[in-house]
Amino acid sequence: MKVAILSESPADEAALRVLIEAVLGGPVHRVQHALRARGWPSVAQVLPGVIRHLHFNTDADGLVVVVDSDDSVVHTPEHDAPGRFHSECRLCRLRSIFRQTVKHLPPARGRAHVLRGVGMCVPAIEAWYLCGRDERVTEGAWAEGLRTGVLPYTRNELKWRVYGTDRPSLPLEIRCALAEVKRHQRDPRRLENDFPGSFGPLAHDLREWRKKNS
Amino acid sequence: MADGLVVGPASWHSRTVIASVAFRNFKALRDAHVALTPFNLIIGPNGSGKTSLIEALLRLRTLSRLPPAEAAGPAKKAGAPEMIFRFSPPHEHIEARLGCVSEFVCDLLQINVPAADAGWLEVKARLACIRSFLFDHYAMAASANRADGAGLSTNAANLAAVLVRWSEGEAPAFAGLQAEFCRLAPEFTGLEFRPAGEGRVELAAILDGGGAVTAENLSQGVLYLLALLALAFAPRPPSVVCIEELDRGLHPRMLREARDILYRLSHPSAFGLKRAPVQVIATTHSPYLLDLFKDHPEEVVIAQKNGRTAHFERLADRADLRELIAEGSLGDLWFSGIFGGVPEEK
Repeated sequence: MKVAILSESPADEAALRVLIEAVLGGPVHRVQHALRARGWPSVAQVLPGVIRHLHFNTDADGLVVVVDSDDSVVHTPEHDAPGRFHSECRLCRLRSIFRQTVKHLPPARGRAHVLRGVGMCVPAIEAWYLCGRDERVTEGAWAEGLRTGVLPYTRNELKWRVYGTDRPSLPLEIRCALAEVKRHQRDPRRLENDFPGSFGPLAHDLREWRKKNS
Repeated sequence: MADGLVVGPASWHSRTVIASVAFRNFKALRDAHVALTPFNLIIGPNGSGKTSLIEALLRLRTLSRLPPAEAAGPAKKAGAPEMIFRFSPPHEHIEARLGCVSEFVCDLLQINVPAADAGWLEVKARLACIRSFLFDHYAMAASANRADGAGLSTNAANLAAVLVRWSEGEAPAFAGLQAEFCRLAPEFTGLEFRPAGEGRVELAAILDGGGAVTAENLSQGVLYLLALLALAFAPRPPSVVCIEELDRGLHPRMLREARDILYRLSHPSAFGLKRAPVQVIATTHSPYLLDLFKDHPEEVVIAQKNGRTAHFERLADRADLRELIAEGSLGDLWFSGIFGGVPEEK
């Protein structure tokens, strides 16, 4: 499949590629390398333009976009109920932008629209990296922390755990990211289980791609 | 606090040189105070005191080389400019007061310990190594006198001389710089030096695939990048590095790298380096650069200008910061004016 990835950094992009291939069960061909957004809310602002560009100017089958939840609402199955949309959930908002944007696009390059792959790291991608290495780092733990007001860890502390510093250089970030996601390369179900509202939706989207392409 | 997770170093104070500076009647800084951390990004409108802060440090450096004035010296003129410097542990008991006759003549340094105090001598040695930079790509593009390669000059005009000296006598530093340069500018595979006559040397970057680009034909951004790397990879870096307009000439996507190059100075352990940290004070007008400090707002100082006076505020001191950055980037929020640090409008 031909996939574009909209991410915050080359490190995120490298890790996401591994995870995408893990879910799709094979290598992907990257389209439009190095699409970048400057975090939330910049990613929401540029997403319509990115979708439009990929739709008309490339042969991308799908676009994967992943954001950090930071301290915002964690996506839950309730948000997925028909007609439901949580206005403070970044995942819901990205899905909505996707929906609104592709709705008005005519078919192009032999496909109806670019397929959607949306995920939301809770609270940051380093939590995904720690999945399977640190039992305490899960979406549930974070959601409980948001509910009680006592967060189990901070984003900077997650960075310390992954990189040994909260100021990693880009090469270090890439090295560590690739080393950590290796655990999920063969089987991403643990990641899906521990992060059901963040990696889960992305995995679900990607499986839909596979169905459409089979 | 995390439940058992590894956290960062206990205190940054022990790693800095200057803990704080207080200003009285110095240019726009009529009554201002700023606490300094290992890394400080100063933002604010023109004339808000960003450069004045750097000037103050340079004046301190200059005067600290001289014997301090007697405590009971000539009576200070009321309302005269004054700057008070405090230092980081273990020298937090030392206070240096810089008195001025006018905004332009500051020549009276008083310290609250004897001139021979061991602590002051240690502080003094570190103050002597304060350096300030405002890179000039025209100057960098020219050839340099080989003999001038001891340390990077204020405008980095001697970049070629510094790097050729490293290539001949500081091989690890030069190799590190060259490797990082090639990573950041992948169209190049290395650096080379060419004699330019009369003891001068010219810098060139070797192109991937053959050929080379001489410094005068390198882009402004590439030259600035090389100058930043020359600071970060210096075998004997200064104690304090002040850089004006850090973002100048750099593509927005390179700003993260520029920040990280300076983090290499201020947080060497994060890069696996075993050397003393360098305190960094950088100024910028780039919202994109500011965006990169979302996880470290304590490193951002906002220079606030109100009419003809100015003062400093730490971004992290803002109580509602967490709520604000939930729906906006730091750069956009700064531009909007809600942080202050923007030009006044009539």
